[in-house]
Amino acid sequence: MNAFIDFIMGPMVWIAFLIFILGLIFKLVIIIKDVNDRESYIYSYLTLKHSLRSIFAWLIPFFPQSTKQSPVFYSISYIFHLLLFIVPIFLMSHIVLVNEAFQVSWVALDDGLADILTLVVIIALVFFAIRRYTVPEVKYLTSYKDYILILIIALPFITGFLAYHQFFLYKAMVIAHVISGEIMLILIPFSRFSHMIVAPLTRAYMGSEFGNVRHAKDW
Amino acid sequence: MEENKSFDWSTDLKEVPVREWEDRFTWVEEPYVSPDGETIASIVNVEEGVFTVCENGETWDKEYDKAWNLRPLPDGKFAACVSSDEEWTLSISGNEWENWFDFIWNLQVNQDGSSLSLAVQKDMEYGMAVNDKPWDQMYENINEMVLSDTGSSAAVVQVTSMVQADIEVFKNGIFSCAVNGKAIDKKFLNIWDISFDSAGKNVAYGVRLDRTKYSIAVNDTAWDKQFQSVWKPLFISGDESVIAPVKEGGKWMLYKDGQPFWNKRYNQIWHLVVSQKTGNIAAIASDKFGKWTIAENDVTWNMAADQMISDLVYSKDGSTLVAVLKDKGFWTLAVNQKKWNLGADKVFTPCVSSDGNIVSVVIERQGQYFLVVNNIVIPNGYDFMATPVISPDNTKILQKAVKDGVYQRLILSMDKIL
Amino acid sequence: MSNDMEIKDKPSVVKEKNTDEAVEAGLAKLTPERIKNTINQVLQKETGPRFKAYVETCMHCGLCAEACLYFLSNDRDPSYSPAGKVKQTIWEMLDKKGEVSIEFLRRAVHIAHTECNVCKRCSMYCPFGIDIAYLMLMVRRICHKLEITPLYIQDTVNSHSATMNQMWVKEDEWIDTLQWQEEDAREEFEDLRIPLDKEGADIMYSVIAPEPKFQAGLLYQAATIMHAAGISWTMPSSPGWDNSNMAMFTGDNEISGRIARAFYETAARLKVKKIVMGECGHAFRSTYDVGNRWIGWAMPPFEVVHALEFYHELLTSGRITIAEKFKKTVTLHDPCNVSRGRGLHDMAREVTNMLCESFIDMTPNREHNFCCGAGGGVINCGPPYKGERMINNKFKAEQLKATGAEVLIAPCHNCHSGLEDIVHHYDLNMEVKFLGDIIYETMEKKIYKPGD
Ligand code: HEM
Ligand code: SF4
Ligand code: SF4
Ligand code: SF4
Repeated sequence: MNAFIDFIMGPMVWIAFLIFILGLIFKLVIIIKDVNDRESYIYSYLTLKHSLRSIFAWLIPFFPQSTKQSPVFYSISYIFHLLLFIVPIFLMSHIVLVNEAFQVSWVALDDGLADILTLVVIIALVFFAIRRYTVPEVKYLTSYKDYILILIIALPFITGFLAYHQFFLYKAMVIAHVISGEIMLILIPFSRFSHMIVAPLTRAYMGSEFGNVRHAKDW
Repeated sequence: MEENKSFDWSTDLKEVPVREWEDRFTWVEEPYVSPDGETIASIVNVEEGVFTVCENGETWDKEYDKAWNLRPLPDGKFAACVSSDEEWTLSISGNEWENWFDFIWNLQVNQDGSSLSLAVQKDMEYGMAVNDKPWDQMYENINEMVLSDTGSSAAVVQVTSMVQADIEVFKNGIFSCAVNGKAIDKKFLNIWDISFDSAGKNVAYGVRLDRTKYSIAVNDTAWDKQFQSVWKPLFISGDESVIAPVKEGGKWMLYKDGQPFWNKRYNQIWHLVVSQKTGNIAAIASDKFGKWTIAENDVTWNMAADQMISDLVYSKDGSTLVAVLKDKGFWTLAVNQKKWNLGADKVFTPCVSSDGNIVSVVIERQGQYFLVVNNIVIPNGYDFMATPVISPDNTKILQKAVKDGVYQRLILSMDKIL
Repeated sequence: MSNDMEIKDKPSVVKEKNTDEAVEAGLAKLTPERIKNTINQVLQKETGPRFKAYVETCMHCGLCAEACLYFLSNDRDPSYSPAGKVKQTIWEMLDKKGEVSIEFLRRAVHIAHTECNVCKRCSMYCPFGIDIAYLMLMVRRICHKLEITPLYIQDTVNSHSATMNQMWVKEDEWIDTLQWQEEDAREEFEDLRIPLDKEGADIMYSVIAPEPKFQAGLLYQAATIMHAAGISWTMPSSPGWDNSNMAMFTGDNEISGRIARAFYETAARLKVKKIVMGECGHAFRSTYDVGNRWIGWAMPPFEVVHALEFYHELLTSGRITIAEKFKKTVTLHDPCNVSRGRGLHDMAREVTNMLCESFIDMTPNREHNFCCGAGGGVINCGPPYKGERMINNKFKAEQLKATGAEVLIAPCHNCHSGLEDIVHHYDLNMEVKFLGDIIYETMEKKIYKPGD
């Protein structure tokens, strides 16, 4: 049992990271290969200029019409996505671990602030879940899988939060935190979370079709 | 081009003033020039509702209520669709056919001019008429008319009635191919692109068998094999075989008599041409999406046009293959794989010498017409120009052009140009 | 929208999901085997990474709903939301690996053909830019292969396939109509012509088949405008004159490509410089963006100019001058196929302002305008679906009413017909006009001479 826990807490972390990164690269390569083989016409329309134009337009808060029409959701989603990266990357205890392994470090968030931000992520996820249940057009599209996806991201944050506060079962919480974090990382490339890399591609294509061919904006 | 021999190649310049026509008539329509360049003609409006044709300043003896579709004929005469008292017929330099119809259109002339065909409508029945002889059998509708060099006519005719929006009847096939007026006893969902063999006896055409299955039919029999789509077939090898571009598995291939013929799979191939002399087969093709080229005997040219290739012709001896194409916004020509470096707003029908050594064509740039010979643009711009003719010995070019209200028939000496 | 603007559903129309005899006859002939094979063939063989990305990336977030006229007109019923329509069609086909029921297909035809205009507005609202219209067209493609396409639109495709025009216009009828309009127009300009097959003219003018069939007056107007502007133009006497393409809306891509080929080869035969088309949105889409692609023209081989852009050119270059501006208050409907589809919306406003004294814009507008609810082949599914179409357009009616304009300019044939139905159904008391109608009414009837 201990060996298993050691594995989970040690090598598995790096394996999870590797799967996360290689998985995303693999996904990208497959997409590009598929496009070359089956839909190479896409290149006739794709332009860097219009791709970037669209991607950036969609990164500016409250610039696209869609974001203006659903301001609450987009605000929360925006903050959620930022914190999804900021909190784990700038968390003191994560940096310490990285430092131990690679002797590199960077600025850390104040622990108290990180704690609040973790809570914000959790609240955002709760909001997503409630929205899924209460907004008819979202509910209509939602299946249990969508809740599971939310749960998968929520777990590392919840367990991290609990572990930090050492409310109960500290050791078990830490283990649960690491496991859920690993699961999340591993699943990103193989679930709809892969939108992390697919989103810029679909945006680039639509942005190019609109910008380059249709001479219109797509935001 | 044997008939070119009889043209006057020795008089350097003949002129016909045409501007004065505009004073004589209410309006003068676009000019047409006879193949030998001796005559220029236009439909002219004499007064309200009165039309005739003016040839070299002389009007036809007859006047009509309407006239359109003026075309020069190989023998130097002109034909136009004309109407009097709501009836239509063909008038050849003022001599009408005996038969009059409720409507006529689609004048076709075979190579030597011995046969002239029209699509005709009388009492809401449709057919064709060749040399003043209407088909014995008329139909509910007609499309895709063709005239063979031997004077045979064929078209897609509707042989079953269909009330509006009756898709069930449509599904069973309401069209047949009619040859010389007689419908082949075989109906299809659709028929397109009829080709005659050189004897003018057999026909091949593209058919749709049901909503998604296409094939090629020869006379009354479709190939066993079915495809996702097909384009116009062509008879080759002394009428023995039929080839056609077909789509299979999302790609286009060339088939012969129902079997794969060329090996390569293309994004597109259409517009087949065959050299009677060498038997070589060429087609407009696309290897890569959005790039056009020519495939000759299944080998693609080392040349690409990014917009269109519109025309493809072999010289008579088969040595030269000429394509009219549009690349980067301008029209030009490619001759045996080599793209010309000129760019024009319009490129008209090229004229290729029998031995393929000379290619001449009229182009338009910023509203002015120019003659081009072997990639050399002759600097004089004209207001209008008709297709040039190359002399049988390749030493001269007949230029037919209008400038400042005067039609000029000009013989240019080739060594001065090249 | 304030309360007094609110438009009540007419109780006379009962909302029921209609079907028609062609759909039913087609469904009756299907076997589970054929359904499964066809669906899987289309979804596996005819799609690629793009399709995959769209179905695998959709986060089920529902943000696209806000974009859709159908969703908004049906009191935000989620089954009309863009992703909701994908869920009811594509997702289930994928889930069940093509083994779907007849009942499912009946609903799928209905959704794809009558509850989505393939207007792509939702692609501007989905943060990923997922192309729902493409997915709906994929469903239509499946319906086409299963032969369950709605009756009236299938008939137009049949007509296209046999005559290369949408309305079974016979070849002589076409020419005869042009000659008749030409003769009538000579009352205004004695030497006016509609030059047929004039090789080397600068412009080929092309229209959709309903013009010669039902609205020959539009040909008259166009000829008058061309003549007055001193344009070197021609019209083909042969098939290839019709720029419309209903096959692209039934997923019959083979016929769609054949139509596009006939069209561009006609222009090539006439050796023109460019093609100008009448005021039609979907025809523009078909020639500019869709039909051409299917046969391998990445972009149209000829410059194709929508009437709206052409008018802009005529007015700004002074080839057409306006005698007296149009007096009534006007508003402008942006046809999605030339605004969202080609960015001509600002030009449309300039043209409108050059022609009319008082222009009131609609909101939302430009790329964001709502579709007319008729396009994308929806109106072409015909009478069986008209009642539903009116309800599906409630939101559009509110948008129109809010402008308070007397005249509604719709530079698109489908929009024009669809909007006329809306105006009538909701008693909006607006007159629907083409830009060409207004130009014809307001222009100086004199022939342009360079240097004037
Ligand atoms: C940098 C890369 C990423 C980008 C650009 C991105 C972008 C988006 C966008 C555009 C949406 C759609 C609507 C919205 O919420 O705004 C979305 C939704 C979502 N993303 Fe991301 N995302 C990224 C990374 C991730 C990652 C790594 C995860 C999780 C592991 C994630 C989880 C989610 C979730 C859960 C939703 C759905 C919210 C809901 O339930 O409605 N995202 N993302
Ligand atoms: S394409 Fe238009 S009609 Fe179709 S779902 Fe999207 S917004 Fe609605
Ligand atoms: S907005 Fe885009 S991601 Fe969200 S449900 Fe609609 S299609 Fe899916
Ligand atoms: S008919 Fe007009 S508004 Fe409607 S889809 Fe077509 S272009 Fe759009």
